Amino acid sequence: MDRRSFIGKLTGATLSVAGAIGGGLAMVAGSESSACLRPPGALLEEDFLATCIRCGRCADACPNRCIVGFTEDAGAELDVKPGLGQRNTPVIFARKKACILCNGAPGEDLLCTAACPTGALVKTKKDADVVQATVKMGKAEVDTTLCYSFNGASCGACVRACPFEGTALRAGLWEKPLVDPEACIGCGLCERACVHYPQAIRVRPA
Amino acid sequence: MIWQPKGLQGIRRTVQFLVIVMMITIPTLSRYTNYLGARELDKSLERWDGTLQGEVLGGLDAVLRALPGGEKERVGRMVRNRTQVLEYAQSVRGGPWSVQIGPVSMTDPLAGAESIMASKQLVWVLLISLFIPIIGTVLFGRIFCSWVCPMGLLLEFTDKLRNLLRFLEIRPHNLHFSRSIKYVLLGVGLALTVMMSMPILGYIYPPAIIGREAHDLVFGIFDRIEEGRSGFWMGGLTWMSLIILGIALFEVTVSRRWWCRYVCPGGGLYSLLGKIRVTRVKRVADKCTLCGDCVVVCPMGLVPMQDVMGVECDNCGLCVSSCNDDALGYSISLKDEPFVSSVGTNKTDKEGVVQSA
Repeated sequence: MDRRSFIGKLTGATLSVAGAIGGGLAMVAGSESSACLRPPGALLEEDFLATCIRCGRCADACPNRCIVGFTEDAGAELDVKPGLGQRNTPVIFARKKACILCNGAPGEDLLCTAACPTGALVKTKKDADVVQATVKMGKAEVDTTLCYSFNGASCGACVRACPFEGTALRAGLWEKPLVDPEACIGCGLCERACVHYPQAIRVRPA
Repeated sequence: MIWQPKGLQGIRRTVQFLVIVMMITIPTLSRYTNYLGARELDKSLERWDGTLQGEVLGGLDAVLRALPGGEKERVGRMVRNRTQVLEYAQSVRGGPWSVQIGPVSMTDPLAGAESIMASKQLVWVLLISLFIPIIGTVLFGRIFCSWVCPMGLLLEFTDKLRNLLRFLEIRPHNLHFSRSIKYVLLGVGLALTVMMSMPILGYIYPPAIIGREAHDLVFGIFDRIEEGRSGFWMGGLTWMSLIILGIALFEVTVSRRWWCRYVCPGGGLYSLLGKIRVTRVKRVADKCTLCGDCVVVCPMGLVPMQDVMGVECDNCGLCVSSCNDDALGYSISLKDEPFVSSVGTNKTDKEGVVQSA
């Protein structure tokens, strides 16, 4: 190897390392990773970030268009930013649009899980029992200081929105929402339906 | 056997444009199915008439109904037709990074490698999805780069721009770098992927960026229509597009096809996979006049007239169609060496042997 080609190779190596680190840094922008709601059937956050290739096929498949790519634009209204490696990953902003579990859409599996090429979203049958047994997107939590039903006015909007009404979310006295954390899958429809602002019932991502 | 297709460039260009068309069509169809779903749910159809969304839906309806499959089902039964079109539209999704066309799912080997290395496990869905691209690369070399990659298409047009500049006697630079940059970048990227447990090369890989940006652009336009706003607006484009723009500008001014030749990590992976490719460009040594046309035209900066193709050749066939002496063609072989005897010369040789004996 003569000096010329050696210098060329060295420059090449330096450039590429710099490029890779630059790429890494660009991605880190907003380095704190924020907890966010993933599509149904998603692996746990760490595994999900490792497995997902950010192709956007699940977002294309979503019949309700609730799955969006996590960018600054997408989260701007809710003041959330993609954190470390979260850019372009599929996310659901339940307050804007929640997962309807492909209600009324064709296909045997949940459409986003059927579209996923990597197994980051595990294929899940579109069956109430299967969904309730396997999907754990998050858990709904009620802020009793905000909720109308806990403060003297009966509302019940969230209870009526719940796809597993009666098991996951029951109406107590005066339509008080009572969450069963075991049965709740975290679809976010209750958060979407909540008439209070800020939302009195929210989904805490798994 | 040597195959010398001269009309291949037309087909290749058509395929490249079809990829661009699909990048626009897939998100459009995705939105269309959303609207259809919304309309089905919204029992009151009149809510959709007269609105911009209604107009868009009507237009797309008309286009899709003209397609085969839509027309057949239309006779007499609107609803049947709609679900038919819905299935039709939902069978395609994704972009150049990972795509699904009907039952066929294809994922870029770089995406697959990153996902596997970051998650440290093998999933059947992914392996099935990687099957066609890997087999295709082993058979035909880096054909993704020359036939599919939207960045490749863009850079071929900026190449034309370079020719225009040269015609105007503004000489763009043409610097050469080390070809091993892309392997180093691939190695460093995959090492970082393993260390961080996160696929990161997808963020700097142009086909992936272009696919996402095109998708966001189309979705942005639809959002715009829904909100009914107007005025100057960047679409759904993000700063990621600047990477693409930067690569193209550097190409025009400094170095021809620098990204594909020296830097692209995905191209590097395709090169490695295509090292054992079965289809190779071969030179018929007797016919070659060493005119050098193929050297000028080769986008990868190779020298077909000296039979050194190596791992870089993306089998685009530009050298084959540019050769005026019919000296270049595709052949099935595992080694880069001149094609010694074409069928014609072979025959005469045999006859000569027979006669002399």
